[in-house]
Amino acid sequence: MLKQLDRADIDHLLDSLHTAYRLQIPQQLPDGTRHLSPYTPTSVLSLSGEIVHRKPTSFFFPQVQKLVSIDPTGHARDLQKVEKPLALFGLNRADLMGIQFLDRFFLAAPADDIYLSLRQDALLIGLTGFSGPDKSFLPLSTGNCDIELVALAGHWLALGHSTIGKKLLDPYARGLNSELEELRQRDENSSGDLELLQQASHLLMNDLVPDSFWAEIAGRCILCSGCNMVCPTCSCFCVQDRCFEETTERSRVWDSCQFDAFMREASGHNPLGTEALRTRRRIHHKLAADIERWGEPGCVACGRCDRSCPTGIGMMAVAGEIVKRYGAGRR
Amino acid sequence: MNTTLTTCPYCGTGCNFYLLHDDIGQLTGLEPAANHPVTRGQLCVKGWNAHAFVGHPDRLQTPLIRKNGQLQPTDWQTALDLLHDKLRTIATRQGPDSLMFLSSAKVSNEENYLLMKLARAGYGTNNIDHCARLCHSSTVTGLVETLGSGAMTNSLSCFAETDLIFVIGSNTTEQHPLIGSRILQAVQQGAQLIVADSRRIRLSQHADLHLRHQNGSDIALLNGMMRHISQEGLEDRTFITQRTENFSALQQALEPFTPEYVATITGLSSQQIMDAARLFAEADRAMIVYAMGITQHSHGVDNVRAVSNLALLTGNLGRPGTGINPLRGQNNVQGACDMGALPDVYTGYQRVADPQIREKFSAAWGVPLPETPGQMSTHAIEAAAAGKLCGMLVLGENPVVSDANQTLVYQAFEKLDFLAVIDIFMTETAQLADLVLPAACYAERDGTFTSTERRVQRGRKAVEPPGQARADWQIIAELLRRCGLKGDYTDPAEIMNEIASLTPSYGGIEYSRLEGEGLQWPCSDNTDPGTPILHTRTCTRGKGHFSPVTYRPPQEMPDLEFPLLLNTGRTAFHWHTGSMTRRSHLLDREERQAFVEINPTDAEKYQLAERQQLKVTSRRGSVSVRARLTERVPPGQVFIPFHFAESAANVLTNNALDPESGIPEFKVCAVRIEAC
Amino acid sequence: MTEERSLYNPKSCRILAVSDLTPQEKLFRLQLNDGSPLNHLPGQFVQISIPGLTEAPISIASSPTCADYFEIGVRKTGLLTNALHRLQPGAQIGIRGPFGRPFQLEALPGKQLLLLAGGCGLAPLRSLIQYCQNQPSVYASVHILYGARSPQDLLFKDELLHWKIIDHFSCQYTVDQNPSGSCYDGQTGLLTQLLDGVQIDTENCCAVLVGPPPMYRPIIRQLRSKGLVGPQQIMLSLERQMRCGVGKCGHCTIEHLSCCCDGPIFWLEEIEQLRGAL
Ligand SMILES: Cc1cc2nc3c(=O)[nH]c(=O)nc-3n(C[C@H](O)[C@H](O)[C@H](O)COP(=O)(O)OP(=O)(O)OC[C@H]3O[C@@H](n4cnc5c(N)ncnc54)[C@H](O)[C@@H]3O)c2cc1C
Ligand code: SF4
Ligand code: SF4
Ligand code: FES
Repeated sequence: MLKQLDRADIDHLLDSLHTAYRLQIPQQLPDGTRHLSPYTPTSVLSLSGEIVHRKPTSFFFPQVQKLVSIDPTGHARDLQKVEKPLALFGLNRADLMGIQFLDRFFLAAPADDIYLSLRQDALLIGLTGFSGPDKSFLPLSTGNCDIELVALAGHWLALGHSTIGKKLLDPYARGLNSELEELRQRDENSSGDLELLQQASHLLMNDLVPDSFWAEIAGRCILCSGCNMVCPTCSCFCVQDRCFEETTERSRVWDSCQFDAFMREASGHNPLGTEALRTRRRIHHKLAADIERWGEPGCVACGRCDRSCPTGIGMMAVAGEIVKRYGAGRR
Repeated sequence: MNTTLTTCPYCGTGCNFYLLHDDIGQLTGLEPAANHPVTRGQLCVKGWNAHAFVGHPDRLQTPLIRKNGQLQPTDWQTALDLLHDKLRTIATRQGPDSLMFLSSAKVSNEENYLLMKLARAGYGTNNIDHCARLCHSSTVTGLVETLGSGAMTNSLSCFAETDLIFVIGSNTTEQHPLIGSRILQAVQQGAQLIVADSRRIRLSQHADLHLRHQNGSDIALLNGMMRHISQEGLEDRTFITQRTENFSALQQALEPFTPEYVATITGLSSQQIMDAARLFAEADRAMIVYAMGITQHSHGVDNVRAVSNLALLTGNLGRPGTGINPLRGQNNVQGACDMGALPDVYTGYQRVADPQIREKFSAAWGVPLPETPGQMSTHAIEAAAAGKLCGMLVLGENPVVSDANQTLVYQAFEKLDFLAVIDIFMTETAQLADLVLPAACYAERDGTFTSTERRVQRGRKAVEPPGQARADWQIIAELLRRCGLKGDYTDPAEIMNEIASLTPSYGGIEYSRLEGEGLQWPCSDNTDPGTPILHTRTCTRGKGHFSPVTYRPPQEMPDLEFPLLLNTGRTAFHWHTGSMTRRSHLLDREERQAFVEINPTDAEKYQLAERQQLKVTSRRGSVSVRARLTERVPPGQVFIPFHFAESAANVLTNNALDPESGIPEFKVCAVRIEAC
Repeated sequence: MTEERSLYNPKSCRILAVSDLTPQEKLFRLQLNDGSPLNHLPGQFVQISIPGLTEAPISIASSPTCADYFEIGVRKTGLLTNALHRLQPGAQIGIRGPFGRPFQLEALPGKQLLLLAGGCGLAPLRSLIQYCQNQPSVYASVHILYGARSPQDLLFKDELLHWKIIDHFSCQYTVDQNPSGSCYDGQTGLLTQLLDGVQIDTENCCAVLVGPPPMYRPIIRQLRSKGLVGPQQIMLSLERQMRCGVGKCGHCTIEHLSCCCDGPIFWLEEIEQLRGAL
């Protein structure tokens, strides 16, 4: 049943969640960066603005994550389970799609228990509607969260998408379906980025992008790895061991396919041995290989890599260039 | 997940990021600051991995004293008492000037200030220096003479407002990646780019003109360009008359540098030289960007003078999108210089030799101060090797791997009666010490850093230091106290207040004003918003001074016995001697061992294969490195990065010093190569 | 008893014996500490774990028909493999696996098998050879062709001789270079030359290739020209850098496939069109 919350209700909802969950809500950091930070009764909630800076998937798949610890006799111990599940508040549609993508990836057999230990029982709360920068409109979610708050002028419509979400919304007043319908209409024409990706994807899958293109784009890449670090669907990791006196801690660390050593083998042979090949992989993997494997592109159009790329060759920029050069007129 | 905003510990660009840490005080990653004017939500690969070494098991955790030849754990009290006792005894017996203090471009302004105060007021010597000696001492000497200030004249934001960028001797996309990216973006927006670099660096792919001039021939190139500019009447007459002096001397000095003559020295064609001159002079706003390719020569100061002359000749100074932009390497090398961790100046480049200045500091610190300027670090190494130095305190530096001619450096340290090292890891230098003190790293202490664009910014403590490690300022304060000086600083903010009170250019710097974007010095009082561009109306010294120079070849050029020219430098993935980056998994994995770049034609000539292990030999020693065949280096030149202690490039390099700045000639020496 | 254990948690494993195969390669005989069999199939690999040096994927070199222990042949190339070479019988290491898609055993009965190995590739292939060796009459014939760089690089020298004399089996090997003064009196030349001499039953033949990347293209070309053009006639192993072995770390991907779980063994037609596979 559709519900309606006012500002005080939101505070009430958050307050009721934070005892059972490790609740994270969007807040402004000192330089204005919008970031999912731990909820405290005094934190200042940011209910609209740019997409939260750090990818929310990092809560389930952090930059550094312990896998096992190994004692001096070589005996490996599983890690202790976490106490409280996470609740993430304020996810937009792209971020929810990102989590959904990563869920499917990590939970495909054999399921990744390390990911699962953080993801299991976690609560996802979407924030859509008029909650973008300057309260601009953000498209609704596809229902892939527990609760979705849809921002209107002075109140929020609340949809419970899961059983637990519905239950949490029980106490609140009913919302107007007509208001929701109106927004759904609006939704239809807000998918420009996704359309661009689709076109680029089509060109890639039909092998219409020449190698010279990748060499040219690669020439502008300064190998910062930022595009991979910020991408909510990037899942590659490397493994590091650190030997302390008592134990060896084995962790996984976010990796980047833009590194030469990502695939370099002991012999020096490297299937991704040029910058052009690696740049191709960065785009091709999301827009073609992922579709082949998972039926959906790996890019959810969150905009992070375009923002974090120091030289302006993030996904949207490259997809745009592909469509401009090899798309129009040929289709 | 807790967040702490701080400044990147690697290069001098001055990026800011949030360190992320969990409830048990471990770093779990980092996130670039989205709205910081330099960072803008972006970092380079070292920045993205800056959290990785902090919690490394190799971190030093307890003070160590050498007993029976072994470094053994001790407590702080014993360690500090011993350190003070040794330094005091040497100062009394052999004289204060038989001590040398090496400060660090990795520690904060406050820590640099305290160490220079300790050397001067505590132990009575001006023998204090730091690694700027090895990177931008030529800049400071050269630009102070011509402009009155050795700093980068303009700001990073200027790259968005320029018509032409002339990069000479800077592999910017690898060494200052987020400045390099601004250059690439400027090119995308239509700015022109001239790259003068013998190596085919990434920027050269995007350049309108790539000049692969012979290493060490910069003065010939720059003089040739300037001569052609005046021949064509493209100089900025108004600027020259109104803002400069000594122009006729310059004109005279340029006379011999005809395009044809310059071509013979540089290996370029005379057309290339004339093209570069015209392209540069015709731009309304042109920025000159340089780094170690200019400074690290036995004629480094002259190189800087030539760069300065070119900017003055074309009026590219004091306006947005112009300027002389020496890029500082370390995150606080600008600050360490500003703080007077140099033998001849106190903070803000106030001269030790000036009695009034000395009186001011003496009054503030309450002790008489030594009058004669101290020794440069490179000279100190020579002095130590000659047995003329007794004790040294090294703070956060690894000269055994980073100084030229390693054999000499080893000799120097062996001859010392006493060596103390404060560091975060057991570096190659610390391994030689009699006393090693464990320090907190950037993520574990508060302080300020000054970036290449003179931006003073906060570093903030996110997590506790490991074991008993302490912040450097706390360690130095303990020594100050033992010297009978003020040592009870409550925090770095208090130290900054003391700095501000003694330093005109930092007069308005106080912690409460540094939240947000920081402040660019000069910043004279607490209403001063700071200074993004220097020399706008007049130069710091008044008129811009033309300082004519003439070409001198490097001290050691290839010959029959050592037929190849060795160039040294860094890679994108490692920082200097690798103590941090080689302990960061991703960076280490990318480049795990030393290599030598060789042009394929040379490889063919000497019958060398890709990935073959080679022995590279100079007059000073040999190292073993792996061959990497690449067109990046021109025929006749090889390049070795200096990160890898086990095959240290600095075994080979030549400690031929610039007579004025004391900088070694890291960029040119002669070697031969054979299979091993 | 089902023990809940993390995907990334290695089991303890004991080194029973170590022997030198070549100056660069050693054979390790291993047993899980709890005595249980590894339950692998030929072509699968394990992740060998050494604390401080993470893990390395190593193919199982013995047949599952031997349940008491399993063997791996390891070339020293880097940090972990060098450390492994220094270990003595009795030492403990960690193991995860077996992982990966094995040789497609069900496609082999009744066929003429061409088993081609280059260099280190004989180690994984040995698990298949041993498997076939236990039931030689199931196959029309088994031809082992092996090429190494030099005589001293030849792996499993005794077994090479033994495989020659098994019913239905033939075994030939060659070296790229035979330095003067060596007492090797076998063939010198490329693997392709050995293959030239083999009579192929085009319709009923299945070839299995395991070797270094540069070996594949010429051999495949030759097999094709000899008539192996149908589906399920050429099977090969693709090795990539592998960190997890379970399809998560991304290091082993070839376009949309992961070598660690979709492979390492593939039918040629599954990967032939993929960029960067061969
Ligand atoms: C499915 C599979 C089966 C294998 N079977 C065998 C076998 O039976 N016997 C054998 O001797 N070797 C085998 N290998 C190769 C072996 O895994 C590598 O030689 C080993 O991982 C190198 O690890 P290291 O720690 O010794 O070297 P490192 O010091 O880690 O690495 C040295 C270099 O090797 C690269 N590298 C790291 N991991 C790998 C990797 N997994 N594969 C290739 N290069 C890598 C590194 O990037 C580095 O450049 C197999 C590899 C795969 C993928
Ligand atoms: S963010 Fe841009 S510059 Fe950095 S690795 Fe990605 S594509 Fe290259
Ligand atoms: S450009 Fe320099 S300051 Fe910025 S992240 Fe990289 S190393 Fe740090
Ligand atoms: S080894 Fe990790 S995905 Fe294949």
